[in-house]
Amino acid sequence: MEGSRERTPHSGVVKRRSKSQSYRRSIRTCFGVASGLSLTPALTARRMNICRKAPRSQNITEKVKPEHLALLVKTEWQLSYVTPLYQFRHTQLKTYARQLSAFIAAEKQQGLAVEVGGLQNTFKVSFSVLQGLAETNDDPETVLIQVQSKPMFARQEDPPKTVWSGWLSCINGNPEYLQSLPKDFTCLPLFCSKGAEGLSSLVKSWLQRTFDCCFGPLDINQTTLQWLAALWTNCHMETNIQKLKMIWTLPVVPPLQVTYTVDSDDALELWRSTRESSAEKSRGAEDEVCIDFSEVTRFMQGLMSHFYRHFRVDLSAGELNQVSSALGSAKLNGKIKISSSRYLISIFSLLTECALLKMPI
Amino acid sequence: MDNLAKHLLQRLMRRIPASMLQSTLDKWGRLTAEKRKSLDFTQSKLTITQELVALCEESELTVKHITELEMIYVTENPNQGMWHTFQLLDPEDDAHSVELMQFKEQFKSHLSELKRNVSVKIKKHTDEAVWIRVAWGDGLSRPNHLKATYVVHYLQTPYVFVNALSSKNKPLLLQALTLSTKHQQIKAANLSGQKLTALRDLLMRQYQQVFPTKYPSPLPESDQSISKLRIEKVQAEASANRHRMAGETFGDGMLPALQSAFFQLETKFKDPTNEAMTQRDEPFICSVKFSSSNLLESLRHCASSGIASTPVTPLLSSIPLKGRNYFVITDNVPNA
Repeated sequence: MEGSRERTPHSGVVKRRSKSQSYRRSIRTCFGVASGLSLTPALTARRMNICRKAPRSQNITEKVKPEHLALLVKTEWQLSYVTPLYQFRHTQLKTYARQLSAFIAAEKQQGLAVEVGGLQNTFKVSFSVLQGLAETNDDPETVLIQVQSKPMFARQEDPPKTVWSGWLSCINGNPEYLQSLPKDFTCLPLFCSKGAEGLSSLVKSWLQRTFDCCFGPLDINQTTLQWLAALWTNCHMETNIQKLKMIWTLPVVPPLQVTYTVDSDDALELWRSTRESSAEKSRGAEDEVCIDFSEVTRFMQGLMSHFYRHFRVDLSAGELNQVSSALGSAKLNGKIKISSSRYLISIFSLLTECALLKMPI
Repeated sequence: MDNLAKHLLQRLMRRIPASMLQSTLDKWGRLTAEKRKSLDFTQSKLTITQELVALCEESELTVKHITELEMIYVTENPNQGMWHTFQLLDPEDDAHSVELMQFKEQFKSHLSELKRNVSVKIKKHTDEAVWIRVAWGDGLSRPNHLKATYVVHYLQTPYVFVNALSSKNKPLLLQALTLSTKHQQIKAANLSGQKLTALRDLLMRQYQQVFPTKYPSPLPESDQSISKLRIEKVQAEASANRHRMAGETFGDGMLPALQSAFFQLETKFKDPTNEAMTQRDEPFICSVKFSSSNLLESLRHCASSGIASTPVTPLLSSIPLKGRNYFVITDNVPNA
């Protein structure tokens, strides 16, 4: 077997180059290993859900204020995970805002260059609650942090511009895990940020000091990207996703990028056909029934085998970097964009799950 | 120097990178050596531009001279913008004897017949390429020198490369080209990209070709290899075969730096494990775009490393063999 080929992260099995039955069977038997079990022995065993409810189009404008939703959608967010915050109080937000402002000012004075494009006068921080995103009783309410500033030579009447924003949330977090946390801890594991990297570091730094927590990058791994490809295709039943676009990179010199765009109706038919082949599923209420990861795998394999039939290139030798549709885009380096508020909850529930998987304990 | 000439010069100066200014101005030769020496190239581009405009005004240079400068710059740095390839078809009997002067005259006269107020400049480059710059006007307005079309043609080859041509002027240019090269038809060659040199090298096969041989290696002597050596030998053979086939398909050494290839697929979905989809009558509509800083080298590496199965599929081998990078694949015509 070729030693020079790279393996994709989730496939622990040796692949054969030809697309035959045994190739597919071997993926399925190894699936248990690839389910993303957290490595450390935990009080609560957290694992990536193998079964997931299909995202339903939800009109959440009744639960969440439209102006809050407008802040979240159609923007690309950089994802990080954060460990539970110690003694965080939703009632102390004004205090936190003052403290963070002071912190940023102090760091700036120490000569830490915060490049926000041109000289900035002062930074004004605001903390607010984005009510309505928390789904379960265990989910703490989402907190939004915004940093605004006025350029040095701005006029008085010019409104301050938001130069950085970030939000902490927990959407449909695993109730077992959330309930197992000691009383003083607030779990908001998903951190989304947008804006200058310097400000992101400062905000994270302050949060780390103040709430004794840790941040880390939340990469959207191959499994999650595949989930999104399948889930977004599933959404095409309710909402037109226009196209399903996937970008792979193949490990050759120079690196080869493959952009594979599938017509949404055809993608949906393929998706439906992989679901129908599961004997247990009832035909009627498709959307109420769980989606199994094995169906996602079959869907991806269908796409890859169509590709192989034409180009005789094995896409699984490379890495899936990006998945996008009219509903949003997700990139391997942890960048996500949601274009429609209708599926915001579902997608961020998936991401909350990914963030919780990263918790060290 | 009128305002148009000044504006054109300023625009051009923004395009030319600082590192290339001096050499480009030297090649232009419209300013005396003395004047050129007076320019201080260590200043900011804005300052140099202002000084240059002043010098050109002194020398009473016109739009004509500035367009010369632009042409020199573009000719020396052709890998910008988007080049589209066309192919001339059905040559007349005397097509192969068309030479430069004849072509120049014919092209200029045909084009001016088709459209009034066009400004045409034709130059032969050192590598035998004929460069044409066309600024388009119409009955009412002067030629627009800010959005000139560039055409590159190698006489006695059927290929024409075009940059910055609007759809309005396309039929006129193509007709003028067809007539002046004594052909009867011209069609899009489905090859486009940013790097003119890559497109040209690909079409003119100016890279190391590898020709298939029946006996790639000397005949082996009878050997008494033990089992382990046999495994290594088989692996080495398989690897050598892949490398050979990769080279035969794509070429050896440095390959033209084509940057992308696009396939529109409209074929049926065929997968023995998925009956529902295989039984569909309608095609599965999708598109695939391959991109890389050097696509042919990436594909060659795919073939030699086994990521692409060898022999290489005709879809991919068509890129170097047919010299194109845009394909529409349907079930009826495998290589449209």
